[in-house]
Amino acid sequence: MKRPKPKVAFFDFASCEGCQLQVANTGETLLDVLDVIDVVEFREIMSEKWDRELDIAIIEGSITDHHAEERLKQIRERSRILIAFGSCAAIGGVNGMKNNFDPDEIGKYVYGSDYHFFPTEKTRAVHQVVKVDYSVTGCPVYIPEFVEVLKAVLQGIPYYVPDYAVCVECKLNENVCMYEKRVGCLGPVTRAGCNSWCINNRNMCYGCRGIVSNPNEKGAKDVLSRYNIPLDLVLKKIDMYNKCREIKNE
Amino acid sequence: MKDSQYVILKKENFNGFITGLSKLHKLVAPVSKGYNNYSFEEVSSGKEIAIKYIPTILPPKKFFMPQQETLLEYDISKDLHTEAVVEPEEMVLFGVHTCDIAGIQCLNMVFSEHPKDYNYLTRRQRIKIIGLECNEYCDEHAVCCLMNTYMPDGGYDLFFTDLGDYFIVHINTRAGEEIIEAINLFENAEKSHLEELEKLREKKRTVFKKELPIELGSIPELFDRSFESKVWNDLDERCLACGNCTMVCPTCYCFDIKDEINLDLSTGKRYRVWDSCQLEPFARIAGGINFQKTRAGRQRHRYYRKFRYPVNKFSRFFCTGCGRCSRACMAGIRLKETLGALMESESREVNA
Repeated sequence: MKRPKPKVAFFDFASCEGCQLQVANTGETLLDVLDVIDVVEFREIMSEKWDRELDIAIIEGSITDHHAEERLKQIRERSRILIAFGSCAAIGGVNGMKNNFDPDEIGKYVYGSDYHFFPTEKTRAVHQVVKVDYSVTGCPVYIPEFVEVLKAVLQGIPYYVPDYAVCVECKLNENVCMYEKRVGCLGPVTRAGCNSWCINNRNMCYGCRGIVSNPNEKGAKDVLSRYNIPLDLVLKKIDMYNKCREIKNE
Repeated sequence: MKDSQYVILKKENFNGFITGLSKLHKLVAPVSKGYNNYSFEEVSSGKEIAIKYIPTILPPKKFFMPQQETLLEYDISKDLHTEAVVEPEEMVLFGVHTCDIAGIQCLNMVFSEHPKDYNYLTRRQRIKIIGLECNEYCDEHAVCCLMNTYMPDGGYDLFFTDLGDYFIVHINTRAGEEIIEAINLFENAEKSHLEELEKLREKKRTVFKKELPIELGSIPELFDRSFESKVWNDLDERCLACGNCTMVCPTCYCFDIKDEINLDLSTGKRYRVWDSCQLEPFARIAGGINFQKTRAGRQRHRYYRKFRYPVNKFSRFFCTGCGRCSRACMAGIRLKETLGALMESESREVNA
């Protein structure tokens, strides 16, 4: 006897939708994925909508205004499982940079003098608004990890985002360390799980997967000064994806 | 030295040797990756090989216990059906330094213990090792003289020493002899060649100096007295817990075991992947309790796993002096300095 396939919908909030594009671009594995789930809403690849109960809601994007907050809460109410999908959803991502500025100042900058018609709020990650059951971090998401999370959901078991540095996977891949190249890579403080994707491709780590739970801040500063890398530059780099970590959960 | 155990390979025949050998076996040798970094990779010509190299990013242990290795395949669609998996590969490692040969000797001991690790041992059987002598120090991080690993001491099939216009090659096993026979480029070593080898070894004994003023035999006692040393607290402030030092260590062998189910949710595999005692979750257990909560405790553990615990268990040190942990540490935690600091803090306490 085959169980009915779980109904799955993708929703996007403040984001570039690049993470959903990653899913659309998965290739052959996508066929295997579609064998086990029933996609009922996914605006990047289909026109159908779904406003009833869901087994799995996959949320891309961060929450930046009260419309988004209400919509997210409604989705949460009708979904058995909710997955924060991509850095914007899971940790706030690049939209969090907004939180560096005074809201009136950036409102004016973007919308001009009529900015008060477009009320906006501090950027928050999805878990800072509703309960999140699973997270797939990354900008964009690393598809092998998404598939692992999906399998965990289908089995009803937890998925743990690795709580150790990207360096671990980077060393397993035997890359030349970015610090040997005098580049301020965020690998040493960023959570692994991406198989050191960027460094494998000769780029540095931008910290898109969030910071490990217990980073050695003093030690990290010492490392930067050892390599003559300006601290200010690296703090800005960390803020690029991780500004929302400053928001305390309500 | 018995002459019959030695042959020579002229430098002009080196490329022919490598090309010929690569046609017979998968051949792996040190290759430059830029920035004075090297790695063992498959080669098919002598030109690809970095004959002069400092220890590779990862030691050759990656061929004996790959970073990720399938142990078991399973199918739970009807009953539980499992099948053990070993995927050994025939290969020859060329250019292995004596420190790394020592590392493999350590791993052989670990994985031969009961219960034997058949994945490791099956791979080990199929890998031939051609050593390459270090005529001089690789860099300031090595402690191979202190650890007594700078001279060849078995554990290889063939051992190459660069003597200018030629390599002199020690044949240590039948498998090594078969390589010599298969590649018809070697000549018998004359007495003069052996004398040159002896001369090099004499010179090495003067070039390689004990890197720290301590006898190897008194290191375990130093550690016995250093468990509560302040040196570990200093490491706590500096260590980023990135795990680099253990990943690159030729004798670190800890692994985690994970199950990965396929999307059909009934078939899958069980695999192991390198783990590290330096990582925050390494000793974290159910309920959130962590037996190694501090970076100081984890670093201390690493050092004791090299200089104290294996001395009791295996009667040898598990530091091979290769210096990789020091090279790979962004925070600049240097093995030589840590040992030096332990010695110093102790003498200060004695004098106080």
